[in-house]
Amino acid sequence: MVDDSREFERFARPHAAAALRLARTLVTNEADARDVLQDSFLRAFRHFRGFSGESPRAWLLSIVRNVSFTLWRKQRRSEPDEPETVLEAEPDPGPSPEAGLLEACDAELVQEALRQLPTLHREVLVLREIEECSYREMASVLGVPIGTVMSRLSRARAQLVRKLAGDLRSRM
Amino acid sequence: MNALNEHPRGALHAHLDSELSLEGSLEVEHHLSDCASCRRELDTYRALRQLLQSAKATTSEAELTLLRVTRTAHLRHRQRKFLVMGGAMAAAALLALVPIPGRTSGIANEVASAHARAMEAGRTEELASKDPAAVERWLSTQSLEPVPPTEGGNGIALRGARVESLGGRRVATVVYQVGSHVVDVFAWRSAEADVEPRPTVAGHWTVCRWAHRGVAYWMVSDMGTEELEVLAGLIRNRRT
Repeated sequence: MVDDSREFERFARPHAAAALRLARTLVTNEADARDVLQDSFLRAFRHFRGFSGESPRAWLLSIVRNVSFTLWRKQRRSEPDEPETVLEAEPDPGPSPEAGLLEACDAELVQEALRQLPTLHREVLVLREIEECSYREMASVLGVPIGTVMSRLSRARAQLVRKLAGDLRSRM
Repeated sequence: MNALNEHPRGALHAHLDSELSLEGSLEVEHHLSDCASCRRELDTYRALRQLLQSAKATTSEAELTLLRVTRTAHLRHRQRKFLVMGGAMAAAALLALVPIPGRTSGIANEVASAHARAMEAGRTEELASKDPAAVERWLSTQSLEPVPPTEGGNGIALRGARVESLGGRRVATVVYQVGSHVVDVFAWRSAEADVEPRPTVAGHWTVCRWAHRGVAYWMVSDMGTEELEVLAGLIRNRRT
């Protein structure tokens, strides 16, 4: 039992921070995020010996995802909207605003804009830009093909840029 | 190499995320050299990345939650005393990373494979030398440019250099010894703006890349990501 604990710690420790950040991304309430994290570790601890995949991080993050959505259901919220179908209806936004415009953003503005994005868009941005997951890893965490990861990510980036540009303009 | 005549829509994002092969990346950069609107778009997404990373939350409490789960279970079953780590908990001791087997796409995988091949063959240097000037001279006789830094010092020992073949291109490789670790540093021209060292894991290896003044540098070794990131910073600062 001692060996199990230490070995699980070695297995999970490098990804603990990423797991908490993803939990916060998905459930937004801090107390809920801590609960999700603890439950995720407990579940992973019970099953990690059977893990034989490519990426322990992807496996742990997919557990965090499942536990988060279980919490959503308990709180009687519906699972996140599928942004592909919603945004496919939107016209092509055209060229992005200038990079210089983004320099006027502060951390608070970015965090707020991120919070207001659809959950699945916020999620891919955090996994890619904060956790630096590869596309392949993201496909594994999200349970979708790599093509979906790529289109979701490019839409999420475009949407966040447009939102920030809009937020900045409304400040002026 | 075919130049891209159309705008690389999806490939632009993949390039930004280092998911293209070296050859693919170079094709995109070739397009970017002629296309201001794609350059602007890429710059916008880079700026977005900076913004997101600057707002990154720190999470030492994640490790504490992990330990609560593992140590409590342990206590419940064994009722043994264990060392209380206290303040050390949040420190580097907790963050020592074991390289975890896994697949990575793109350039990280290419440089890690090149490093692995050289290590397995026992042929990391074609020129074995501790003299930075000799190494630079040799690389220039190989018609290779740009060249990675060659100055060691402070426990960073120059071993020599070799010519590596990546994506059909000849790439200068400088080899260091740091403690028990062999470290490769590759360099090639890139239109990328300056970027701080970013570590990642590719299979059994740790990889760190940075960009400075139109050159992309990639470093590969088997040390932890934190150590590699520090090393990359030291080596990058040798050249200003």
